[in-house]
Amino acid sequence: MLELIHFNILSVLLFSVGLYGVLARKSAILIIMAIELMLNAVNINFIAAAAFKHGGGLFTNFDGHILTIFIITIAAAEVGLALALILRIFRNKSTVNVDQFDMMKL
Amino acid sequence: MQYFWLIPVISFIAFIITSLVGNKILKQAWIFPVVAIILGLGIYCFGLTEYLQSRFDLEHCVRSSVTGMVGCNYSVGWFSAGVTGKETVDSFLGFTVDPLSLSVAGLAIFVALMVQIYSIGYMKDDPRFGWYYSVQALFISSMILLALSDNFLLLYVAWELVGLCSYLLIGFWYEKPDAKEAAKKAFTVTRLGDVGLLIGVLLIWIEVGSFNMSDLFSYVASGQMESWVIFSISGLLFLGAMGKSAQFPFHVWLPDAMEGPTPVSALIHAATMVAAGVYLVARTYPLFVESEAMMLIVSIIGLITAIGAALICCVSIDLKRALAYSTISHLGLMMLSLGAFGYTAAILHLLAHGFSKALLFLGSGNIMHSIDDLDINRMGGLKSVLPGTTILFCIGALSLAGIPLLSGFWSKDEVIVSIVHNRNILFAISSMILVFLSGFYMIRLIITPFFGTQNRDYSNAHKLPMVMLIPMGVLAVFVVLFGWVALYMPGLPSSFGTFLFYSHPKNFHLEPDIASITLVVTLLSFGAGYLFYVKRISIFQTFKTRMKFLITIIENKYYFDELYQILVDKIVLPIASLVALFDRVLVNDIGINGPGHITRSIGSLIRYHVTGRIYVYLGLMTSGMIILGILWLWIVRL
Amino acid sequence: MNMHLVIFSVISAVLISCALGVVISRNIVHSALFLLFALISVAGIYLVLLTEFLAIVQLLIYGGAIVIVILFALMLTRNEEYPRIQNNKLWPIAGILSVLVLITLSVSYFQSDVIRNASTTISPAGVKSLGSSLFTTWAIPFELASLVLLVALIGAIVIARSDKGGN
Repeated sequence: MLELIHFNILSVLLFSVGLYGVLARKSAILIIMAIELMLNAVNINFIAAAAFKHGGGLFTNFDGHILTIFIITIAAAEVGLALALILRIFRNKSTVNVDQFDMMKL
Repeated sequence: MQYFWLIPVISFIAFIITSLVGNKILKQAWIFPVVAIILGLGIYCFGLTEYLQSRFDLEHCVRSSVTGMVGCNYSVGWFSAGVTGKETVDSFLGFTVDPLSLSVAGLAIFVALMVQIYSIGYMKDDPRFGWYYSVQALFISSMILLALSDNFLLLYVAWELVGLCSYLLIGFWYEKPDAKEAAKKAFTVTRLGDVGLLIGVLLIWIEVGSFNMSDLFSYVASGQMESWVIFSISGLLFLGAMGKSAQFPFHVWLPDAMEGPTPVSALIHAATMVAAGVYLVARTYPLFVESEAMMLIVSIIGLITAIGAALICCVSIDLKRALAYSTISHLGLMMLSLGAFGYTAAILHLLAHGFSKALLFLGSGNIMHSIDDLDINRMGGLKSVLPGTTILFCIGALSLAGIPLLSGFWSKDEVIVSIVHNRNILFAISSMILVFLSGFYMIRLIITPFFGTQNRDYSNAHKLPMVMLIPMGVLAVFVVLFGWVALYMPGLPSSFGTFLFYSHPKNFHLEPDIASITLVVTLLSFGAGYLFYVKRISIFQTFKTRMKFLITIIENKYYFDELYQILVDKIVLPIASLVALFDRVLVNDIGINGPGHITRSIGSLIRYHVTGRIYVYLGLMTSGMIILGILWLWIVRL
Repeated sequence: MNMHLVIFSVISAVLISCALGVVISRNIVHSALFLLFALISVAGIYLVLLTEFLAIVQLLIYGGAIVIVILFALMLTRNEEYPRIQNNKLWPIAGILSVLVLITLSVSYFQSDVIRNASTTISPAGVKSLGSSLFTTWAIPFELASLVLLVALIGAIVIARSDKGGN
């Protein structure tokens, strides 16, 4: 039987993979992609929790879905801004490697 | 009289304006200070007339039960010390007008006006003309403040201000290393005395609870003060007076102060500022007379100073330095007179000496201006070159030597009278020696430069402008006529002794025996000087070679400078370096730099985590997240 | 073997392998394509959860808009490294940290009360009821979200445009 725990494990797996991408990658664009994976892991978690909701409690039936919609919205905004910033940095430094964004280092 | 506060204020405004527009904008920088001092003189004359004509029946004026003189007090609230509602002490910013402050302020204003007019000619070509005049204005402002102040706090402020002006003007030609050193020396030495004054003022505050002078005097008169407190307060105040009036052993700064411009020497280091010490003792006289021992100390210090300086003056070859030693000697005489209960005599001598010495200094300024030399052995025969200066200089010198009818005669005579009456025979004999010495050195200073054999060419001597001679002429008129106030004072039914006195008015009367002895001694000294410097008879030459040893000591000023140098080098500087070590090591290195060093070294140790690599930060963040998760599991679930 | 479980397992396998492809692939364009497939797989997961509206939204916004924007950025910042992107030097530590997160979160889930209390059946989310919830209870946040999008749009334009008077 399909249960909530399956979706949770799926989302944890996806989250960890995304985290690895964020930590291990050098290119800023790849880091953005990995962040999208992490956001999707969270979304899966939300929707699964809403779908398997049992009876009353603090949340109503659709709160998980609604939050997912907002997360997707914010993700769209975030990607737009982040990529604009990356373009800007690329224009100044001719690279998108986060290693080299260390102008504020002592 | 209630407008007397305007005198220092006007001069202070002149100081500010002249400092601002001085050299650069206004070529005639003298205008503002001179106008200010003329206005001050006008206010002063009106006030003096009002005071004399009022027959002492004015608002604000009361006859002091202590001094017996009528003093007028004008004051406004200054500040309140302490917690409101609990025993606060109000201080007043006020000035007092009584014969003493009138006399000293009058001397200061008048001599300052003469000297400032004289300086127009003397300082004309100086590049810092404006600065000279602005400091002069500041000086006169603070000197009047000092004379008028009715409380010790204001007096102390003015006291330090005149010291500052003296420092600035001694070091006026700071390009000369000598002037720089002299300025530092004057400031340091007078500071030593000022510390005593400051402690004395604070002691008064502790004892009386007020800075006001009349409060102190009534407290002393009421007999509540213990005698050792009176002794220590008056001793500390006298320490300040010794510093400022160059009394032994603080006399060393005054001769060096002659490095400043000559008009400055005339005004500050002869007529006014150095008299501030005498003024302070006279001002706090009710305190001094309560302590018999202190009066004796004052007269002994005065006597030592007077005779020691007079001896140096007899051998000094620098004209200005000789005059400076003569100033020290006369200041010692005033102290001696104060210590011998000759209150009126001391102040009369202060005034007479002020006029005469200013005249003498301006005369030496003329010599300086025209032949640019001050070594009296290289002068000689100046009477043909500077006839006017010769006459004026002679008037001043003879007045100080005590020739009858000139002002110095009257005041000196009165000083001698009070010494003879109130002190024992030793003092009397010493004062006769002093009279002899002062006659001797004055005749020397007249004969050698002016009448001696001419041994150099004066053809390129500068001509003196009238603006320098006229003020000297006015001063000379004062020197000649001023002494008559000892017999009759205009505006009063009687003499100076009924105008300025302590406890009861006392008319001056010439005591024929004392006066004639003094006169004989003076004439003897003139004769000796004549034989020594004009005839150059052999007995004096052998005397000179016999006493070679003694004269060397005197010529080296009793080695006081050397002694102080050793004192400073061997004692003061090691202690100071010890203190500095404490300051540097404990306070600076450990106390102040210590925390800084610790912070910096911690910072440089832990700054290596700031790599600038974003994945390091993210990794650390993730580690924190994991630790939090494990903690949550451990605490909540297990 | 339940039908649902089979579909879920297949989609999950595709999703995880695509995600691994995103983070492991040396070629950045391949990464972007893997991301596209991973996002489409997520839409499949939503369908398994009977949330068809969100599946469509996921396809349109993530699969359509976001991946396209990322590809644009790739194109605009093209350089010679792109075919062979290096990981940074600390990537083993990154792997260890990820595994630790995985373990911690999994243990937390197995310990959680929510899992034990959850229902065993999936309740479907109809578009109609979702819409009425969005426009009644969540009306103000919804409007604010549109404002956020507007601000982000303007911000992106301002940041990305060139300095020297270019349009």
